[in-house]
Amino acid sequence: MNITNFDCIVIGAGPAGLAAACAARDCGLEVALLDEQAAPGGQLFRNVESPLAQRLLDEKDRRTGLDLVARFRAGGTDYRPHSTVWAIDGTAVSYSRNGVSERITASHIILAPGGMERPVPFPGWTLPGVMGAGGMDILLRSDCLPRLSRQEPVVLCGNGPLLLLLACHLLDAGAPVAAWLDTGDTLRRLAALPHMPAALGDRAYLAKGLRMARRVLSSGMPIIRNVRSLRAEGDGHVEQVRYTTSKGEYRLPAGMLLRHEGIIPRTHIPNALGLAMTWDEVQRCWHPTTDIRGRTSCEHISIAGDSAYVHGGDASLLKGTLAGIDAARRLHVISEAEADHRSAGTLRELRRLEWARGFLRHIFAPHPDIFAVPDETIICRCENVSAGDIRAAVREGFTNVNEIKRFTRCGMGPCQGRMCGPALAELAAQASGLPPRQVDMLHVRMPFRPVPLNEYCTLNGLGYEENHTA
Amino acid sequence: MSNTPGKTVHIIVNGTSVEVPEGVSVAAAVLGHSHERHFYEHSLDGSKRAPWCLMGVCFECMLEIDGRPNVQSCMVQVAEGMVVNTQKRPAVPGENGLSDQGDRA
Repeated sequence: MNITNFDCIVIGAGPAGLAAACAARDCGLEVALLDEQAAPGGQLFRNVESPLAQRLLDEKDRRTGLDLVARFRAGGTDYRPHSTVWAIDGTAVSYSRNGVSERITASHIILAPGGMERPVPFPGWTLPGVMGAGGMDILLRSDCLPRLSRQEPVVLCGNGPLLLLLACHLLDAGAPVAAWLDTGDTLRRLAALPHMPAALGDRAYLAKGLRMARRVLSSGMPIIRNVRSLRAEGDGHVEQVRYTTSKGEYRLPAGMLLRHEGIIPRTHIPNALGLAMTWDEVQRCWHPTTDIRGRTSCEHISIAGDSAYVHGGDASLLKGTLAGIDAARRLHVISEAEADHRSAGTLRELRRLEWARGFLRHIFAPHPDIFAVPDETIICRCENVSAGDIRAAVREGFTNVNEIKRFTRCGMGPCQGRMCGPALAELAAQASGLPPRQVDMLHVRMPFRPVPLNEYCTLNGLGYEENHTA
Repeated sequence: MSNTPGKTVHIIVNGTSVEVPEGVSVAAAVLGHSHERHFYEHSLDGSKRAPWCLMGVCFECMLEIDGRPNVQSCMVQVAEGMVVNTQKRPAVPGENGLSDQGDRA
């Protein structure tokens, strides 16, 4: 029979989750790791054990990813892939695996669900062929690049380091890229300059960025600045992209449009658990309130990686290590002194990486205007709620996003507000004149994921099923 | 474009057998290797939809897989002989010749 009680449960098998599990195991904890995917790696190291993805990673990342996964596999964590967590109740974690739900418990829980692309609606974004940049990167790592041609090329649009990485990956794959439409905020980029000297402390990271930038610039890909009023148009699939700049309106034929406006933390679980959250004024997103070891407002739950605050893969690995060690300290498996000793090097390294982060989070700050979309724009893809519907609700006097949700159904579909939540808050803020943090965030309730009722009723083989076989 | 020899499996997409890389998600396989350009039709307006994120967030990759409808296909790995169908908009009473009682007119 499966073990159902652990010292520590880690949720997510990206860099943070894997490092947390390894560190907790090293301290002697019994650890279970639950992850949605079929193989360890998360998004950054997705399919890292397969040659398909290895081709895309640079030498250092590939080695880091392979080492981490190998260490994790050898470490003795009870690894449960294909496992979608849908509830956390006190110390109990319920998850669905291959159509069967189970419930396991632990004295400590480390959340590491990672980040996601900030979904930014615009007219036509529901058309097939329009995707997030991260989605395209997954296709490239899966050797599943859709058919493209010079007549039906890729158009990139947005702002953020991932777009730069994706542009390089597309060039490497030989995909036709018609243009890079930059939506970044020049003023905010200037605001990043004071952070630059500190960032120079992290030369390796900046050098990698400059290398990628040079590659894109030398490819001759047209880069168009100050792009506004983006639209995707087509009959059943994107066929052309329209946008404006200070000089006028333009059109481009396109087979795919890839939008990227930065990475935000995945906050569904901390939100549903009622953990304290903080609004990030620069990156315009909510993140759970944590300290450097990932401790949250709830003693037995910590958060590591980009789901605490977005800082990339190298930092996620360090944050995971700190959270794993801290879990062992909290459970008195290792002493305070031992925890300090084990964390010292990692803490030093993470503090060093913070230097460049201050610069990057300013230089890639999202432009608030990206949410100033016309009324006909679909905001909630699941329930087809438009920007106009949301503005009408604000005119009716609703300013809290949860009221607007009940009034318009925005956020009530299967994705549970994951795709519309950030835009809903920005639109409500714009229409009401309140700052975004004052319009609240959508309250998430369990289950975190849609789960069939019969799975709910047959947790750990109990209930419904038993009555029928007795 | 990128033809590294690797292990492949066959899945059947809307009745056509398609060779796809082993270990990838059904959603990625359909986007990259089939002729289908949309995954399902939205139940409210019939608009054609396809994946946005491919990592379990957007719920726009819903397909019928081995007879089960509305499966998040980005979270399922391809398997030899898997039968995959794109989804039509569910019939709505009062529209398209269906009476309110649901029987065909």
